[in-house]
Amino acid sequence: MEAYLKSLFDTDKATALRIVQEALDNGLTPESVIFDVVVPGMEQMIGGMISDNLVTLSQHFLASQIAEEVTDRLIPLFASAPAIQGTVVIGTSFGDFHGLGKKIVTGCLRARMFKITDLGINVAPERFVEAALETGAEVIGVSSMMVHTATSDRGPKKVRQLLRDQGLEQKIRLIVGGAPYRFHENLYREVGADAWADTAANAPAAIAALVKEVRQ
Amino acid sequence: MTTGMDRFAALLTGKTPDRVPIVCNLLDQGAKEMGVSLKEYYSRGDLVAEGQLRMREKYGYDTLLGMFYSALEAEALGCRNIIYADDGPPNVGHLVIGSTGDIKKLCLPEDLGDNPRFREMTACIGLLKRESAGRWPVLGVVTASFSLPAMLMGIGPYMDLFLNGDTKLLDHLLTLCSQFCSRQIIALREAGADLIVYVNPVASATFITTSKFRELALPWVIRDLEHPGPAGVIFFNGGGKINPILADLKRHTGLGAFYLNPFDDIAEARSTLGPDALIAGAINDIRLIDWSPPEIDREVERLMQIGKQAGGFIFGTLLMPFSIPESNIRAMMSAAVRYGNYGSEGSCANQN
Repeated sequence: MEAYLKSLFDTDKATALRIVQEALDNGLTPESVIFDVVVPGMEQMIGGMISDNLVTLSQHFLASQIAEEVTDRLIPLFASAPAIQGTVVIGTSFGDFHGLGKKIVTGCLRARMFKITDLGINVAPERFVEAALETGAEVIGVSSMMVHTATSDRGPKKVRQLLRDQGLEQKIRLIVGGAPYRFHENLYREVGADAWADTAANAPAAIAALVKEVRQ
Repeated sequence: MTTGMDRFAALLTGKTPDRVPIVCNLLDQGAKEMGVSLKEYYSRGDLVAEGQLRMREKYGYDTLLGMFYSALEAEALGCRNIIYADDGPPNVGHLVIGSTGDIKKLCLPEDLGDNPRFREMTACIGLLKRESAGRWPVLGVVTASFSLPAMLMGIGPYMDLFLNGDTKLLDHLLTLCSQFCSRQIIALREAGADLIVYVNPVASATFITTSKFRELALPWVIRDLEHPGPAGVIFFNGGGKINPILADLKRHTGLGAFYLNPFDDIAEARSTLGPDALIAGAINDIRLIDWSPPEIDREVERLMQIGKQAGGFIFGTLLMPFSIPESNIRAMMSAAVRYGNYGSEGSCANQN
């Protein structure tokens, strides 16, 4: 575990993947590799960096990329199908072409056994709602890296309005994330979201809480 | 009359100006000022120049910004689609590098002036220089070679390349980007830019660790500035924190001015940089959208107190969002003039 953590800190993907493979070769089950190494590794790393105020996007990116790749490869090898924690539709807001934050969050969520539909970048608000209905999603996640795409009438505000107009607010929750929200902690309320996550590592817990609300 | 140029000149010669110089990065607001769409605004250098001049006159800050939008650099390198919004900066809508094979095909323009938009921007800088008549420094803006690929191939694939990818391919890409960056600095200076803002968000401590900065990014900062030289170049955080990389930048680059992130500690930056470097401290300009005037006043006062104590201080903003109300821009400027005053230490004939 120590060596795995060090590889994440060093953003050394090759070493991280080699350690995962060695764990499998030494008899660790796929479930154990994910839930005892990959996920806690990602969370410990980010938790430690937050306390040292040294969190970097490249470390988030690499940890979530490895988590997603390993999870996708190992889930088919599980002894029994994993319990899905929730179903999420995710994308960047209309007019926003910055996909990094969404990609990092997607990796964290997949590793936490959420079912994700990634709509990509520059997603129209209507598409978010349509896709959520098609997939039975409990949560819509909208990522914005620019102030005007976070606050525009074609961004999360419109998703909220569509949910309200179609009577879906009790069935589908809305979460947002991205740089503007980090500079302005109340902005998520102003754009009509139910919640926001300040880091990708916090996204699974925030989304799990929303899923719980929907399922109650 | 004390001008913005006087204030910067005082700082550059180690003297105390009448008040802290104020950099207010209003860009897209110029279109509103001129009553045109952003698309039309950025199609003509004379419109942008007039917008910038009017806004400087209206709010009274100390610089003129000779910039259009960041995506223009991608356009000059082959981006075929720029997406315009009504209320925010134009975006890259087509990635010049869609696959690693495209990196090998990437070509620099023979002459930057061949690009009509770049030509309009340099014309804008020329107009600003002429109209300023030496009173307000004209800022030119370039994206550092280490950050430029994010606009050409998307930040995710670029991170993948510099963290895990083919080092020869990365070197080839950054060599081209560095040549492009150096040429731009020279071209903007020739057009009339007094100061060059060197924007390097991907090299910031928000994106990469300090060890990766030393290994991957710092050599390219040095390379970008090697030919044009670092005089008058300001390292801009681009939205990321930079205090952890300041010591390396100071030691290896010859840069003398650094633009901090709102979450960087100004006193810590001064301690790291020593007494000579200029430090620009930025207000959290996203909060200017809905802070009340008293809240703005308090935040400006706080920054000015720390900055004046640190010395060699410039008050600044990041790239101010379109939706900041005019009344809040005025509240910020009024507070910055008031709290930035050095009192009897400087002559203060006119604070505009």
